[in-house]
Formats: sequence, structure tokens, C-alpha cells
Amino acid sequence: MFSDISAQKEASSLLCRPASEDQGPVFERTSLAYSLCSERYTVGERSFSRQYAHIYAARLMQMRPLLSERAQQKWGQDVLIRKLCDLETGEQCCIVGTLFKRMELQPSILKEISEEHNLLPQPARAKYISETDELILEDELQRIKLEGKIDRDKFVTGSVIAIYGAEKNDGKFTVEDFCMADLPPQTPRPALSSDRFVLLVSGLGLGSSHADSMLGLQLLVDMITGQLGDQGEQSGAATISRVLLAGNLLSQSTQDKDASTKPKYLTKKTQAGSVEAIRLLDELLCQLVASVPVDVMPGHHDPTNYTLPQQPLHRCMFPLSSVYPTLQLVSNPHQAKIDGVRFLGTAGQNVCDIQRYSSMDNHLEILEETLRLRHLAPTAPDTLGCYPFYQKDPFILEECPHVYFSGNAPTFESKLIKGPDGQEVLLVTIPHFSSTQTACLVNLRTLSCEPVSFSAFSADDDEESVMNVSH
Amino acid sequence: MTTKRGLITDSFKVVKKARNGVKREKRPTPPPPPQKEPETETVREEELQRLTHFDLNWIFGPCTGISRLQRWERAKLHGLSPPEEIRDLLLQTHTDPEYNLSLWSEYPL
Repeated sequence: MFSDISAQKEASSLLCRPASEDQGPVFERTSLAYSLCSERYTVGERSFSRQYAHIYAARLMQMRPLLSERAQQKWGQDVLIRKLCDLETGEQCCIVGTLFKRMELQPSILKEISEEHNLLPQPARAKYISETDELILEDELQRIKLEGKIDRDKFVTGSVIAIYGAEKNDGKFTVEDFCMADLPPQTPRPALSSDRFVLLVSGLGLGSSHADSMLGLQLLVDMITGQLGDQGEQSGAATISRVLLAGNLLSQSTQDKDASTKPKYLTKKTQAGSVEAIRLLDELLCQLVASVPVDVMPGHHDPTNYTLPQQPLHRCMFPLSSVYPTLQLVSNPHQAKIDGVRFLGTAGQNVCDIQRYSSMDNHLEILEETLRLRHLAPTAPDTLGCYPFYQKDPFILEECPHVYFSGNAPTFESKLIKGPDGQEVLLVTIPHFSSTQTACLVNLRTLSCEPVSFSAFSADDDEESVMNVSH
Repeated sequence: MTTKRGLITDSFKVVKKARNGVKREKRPTPPPPPQKEPETETVREEELQRLTHFDLNWIFGPCTGISRLQRWERAKLHGLSPPEEIRDLLLQTHTDPEYNLSLWSEYPL
């Protein structure tokens, strides 16, 4: 791993006399073949005149053949696959449909504005699940309530699954078993001859009031650009061939809502908090892109559109760094092939949203669940903002990534999972850099991942020192 | 006073005559269109009827907010085999909003 490469030179080059007057060794950064595969996440025409019925219809159209096939694999070739309209009471059959979870606590704009109830707006909650939730399966025409062997709290609205069971006399469907679309087909990744790394960072949180994260950030930049440590560390840094910033480059505090509530004459001369933060980001990126290719994804708090897929940040916001061809402003979700290894991931909105509307809490678990559902963001457009697509649902995974990540997680976690057809996927949750001072290094050769922590002076962590970049 | 006595048409005789003349002259010519119209009208109605049937076929998904051709192409993309003649008809008449927009296009969202 990275630490071994860094420590390969036994004699430290720091505590000794300079070898000679001329320059020290030069470590060439390994460059990789890179191709962006995010076309599906770029929105060309922006027409918001459509309803969201289309995206659900397209999702079901796309998923139905896949799930029918899975159902036949699981319950035998002659399993009866029915539409809800042909369903007969008591008959054992399989149904493919979109789940809908009726949730009492789900915030509803209609409930809030209805004058009859005259309720106060509901407070924001961490979780919106409750005991009274009901799971309902919908196909093109009808819906049916589900009960039986299906975990009501775990599933979320918008997931397309196949269920097996029978309708009972009371009109409810008793589920005996269910299956998900599981991992999509994967093209095998090429065998690499040497260790090459991609560094994943998210949640830089620039422009926040906590200035202590700046030291960690500068150390991170210095480590990547090879200005930190001895020659061993520098040669290690040269193997980092790409940096991926996965969203929330700016802090939430740059989004002050004052401008809309205060009178104009008071806010006339004040500058939006994001202006200064973007300038800071530009300077930071300028240091990075001069040395290494960088992919910049927008996130929840960044100045781009709110609805998924978020479009790349505009070049004109980065006058210093955008002149470098190494700066790649990409969309969220982002998909790219780096040296034959397919990366796919988001800035974490999809995972956070599922966390709010299901019983799952662990980001890694949710990430795996979305992969098994073969859908990046099942809760879009229900509780997650989403562009009204009509022809295809771009969030359905058509090809299995090798590295599947989500940003802005509370902690670093990673796991290598295997699919039924021999797929190998590394799941990574990239922690908030501003709160954890941790980045992740993915080894493209072995598909392993390790955290790199810079938490020198943070309150909860006192053991790690600045120079001892922990692995 | 004179205006009260006389009809307004008295002072605009020439105009009225001219109009009458035009109408009389035109009358012989219009008959051909009415004879043709029922035929084209029925063809048009029959075509629109077919398109309405296409709109109301739930297999191809919701039809509001997108054009008929877009809906046809989506159905084709997902292997639902929409009828080819609908596409041909839509391509022939792609300028007519009554043809290329769905049944409910007049209604607000």
C-alpha cells in the first residue's frame, strides 16, 4: 500500500547533509489513461414542464426485463409473472413493480399549507420512519399493499423489485420472498503492473468559521504535490495519479439565507459568503492542478443546480485554475474510467436521503443496497430533487463500476463486495474532510482503499502527529 | 337630424354593394372545398382518432408533457414495439400541433 511505498527508503533523507549542490531526485508522476463517461448525467435541454410520472414509467420499463430474468433465476423458469390487473386471489405468483412507502411523518407541502388543519410546519427530523408506515407495490396500472416477509423500514420509495407470494382475501399481498436486480454486468479491469493511486476527498467545507481545518487541507495539498516528508514520501506522492473532490467544496455556512429575508438596502454592500470561499477554492485548486489532474464534483452546498444530476461548476468561477487542462469540472453523479478502472459515485445526497427515509444508518450499507437495487438514487424524485427525465432513468446502473463511492459520510469505511457473476466492487464512503481531516487512497492495482488522516490538532484525536501521516 | 332619419346603410351604399358583389362572386367557387372537405375531414378525424388511441394505450407510459413522437421513441427504446404507422403518420404531419402533441396538451399541468 501507499505507506509501504512511502517507507521504502530506510535512511531518511531529511536528517542528513544535502548530498550535493544540484537538485535532488525528481519523481515523475504516473499519468493514467482517463476517459469521462458522464454523458448520461449531463442535461442538455432543460424543460421543467413535465411531470415526474415519466421517470417512474421509464424506470419500470427499464427494470422490468432485468427483474423478470432475476425472478426466473431465483424461483425457476416457469414462475408465473403477473401484472397486478391479472392478479387472482390465492394464486402464487411473482410481480414486478415500484415500491412506494406511505409515511405518516414524511413532510408534505400540502399538509403544511392546508388551512383546515392549520398545523405548524413539522420540525426537521433525522428519521421519518414510523410504526404506521405501509409498503405498497405499484405497477403501470394498480397498486397493492404488501405484508409478510419484507422489511418495511428498510425499503424506500422508488425501488423497483420483484416479489413472490399470493394475494389474500383482504386484498393485501403476502410476500414470501423478494428479489432485487442485483449487480449489473461488469467489464473486467485490466491487470496493472504497478501500484497507482487515486485520492478521494469530499467535504472540504471552505468558507466555514472553523479555521482549524485549513491546516489539514494545506497538509493534504502539500502531500499530494510532493512538498511534504522525505524522499520516500515524495516518491509515494508521485504514485497518486489523480485526485477526485467529491462535492461540498464549500461549507453550508456560505449559504446564508439573509439575502432573501433582509431588506435590500441592508444587504446591498455585503458580498455572498460563497464568493470568498470560491476564491479560496480556486487558489487551492491552482496548487493542485499544477501538479496532478483533479476531478471536481459539485455537492449539496456548492453553487450549481440543486436537482440531481448536478451539472459541473462553471469554469469562470476558477480564473486561476481553469487555465490548466488538468482541471476537470465534472457532474454529480460522476462516472469515469481511470486506467480501465471504472469509478462511479455521488457527493452523498442519495445516501443521506435514504438514511432519512429508511431504518438503515450506515452509509456503507446504504451504498451497497443501492448497488443491489441497481439504482443510484431510488428516492429521487420523491424526496430528492431530480430533473424530470422522460426517456430514460439515467440513475439506473447499466454497467457495474469497479469503485463505487459516496461523499460526505460521517466516517471512512470501505468494503470489497463480490457479485453473483464474479463482479468485484470496492465500496468507499468518503468522510467529510472538514470534520475528520481524512482522505481516502484507492489503489487501482489491488482495489484496496486506505484512509489518510491529517488530524493533528483536532479535539478528539491527540495521538496522530502532523508528520506521521497515518495509514 | 338627417342621420336620425336615414339608415346608416344609405350613406355607405357603394361599400355594401361591393360586398354583396364579392359574396355573390365567391359563392360559385366555395362549393368545391365543401365537397372535398368531408373527405379530408374524415381522413383527418380518423388519423387523429388513431393517435388518440395511441395516447390512451397505457403500455407506452404517460403521455402528458411530451410530444407523441417522443413517447413513441421512448416506447421503441424500451422494446415495447409501438406501431410503426403511428411514427410514419407523426413524421408526415410533424408541423401540425394537433398531430404531434398529446391529447391532453391543451390542459395546464
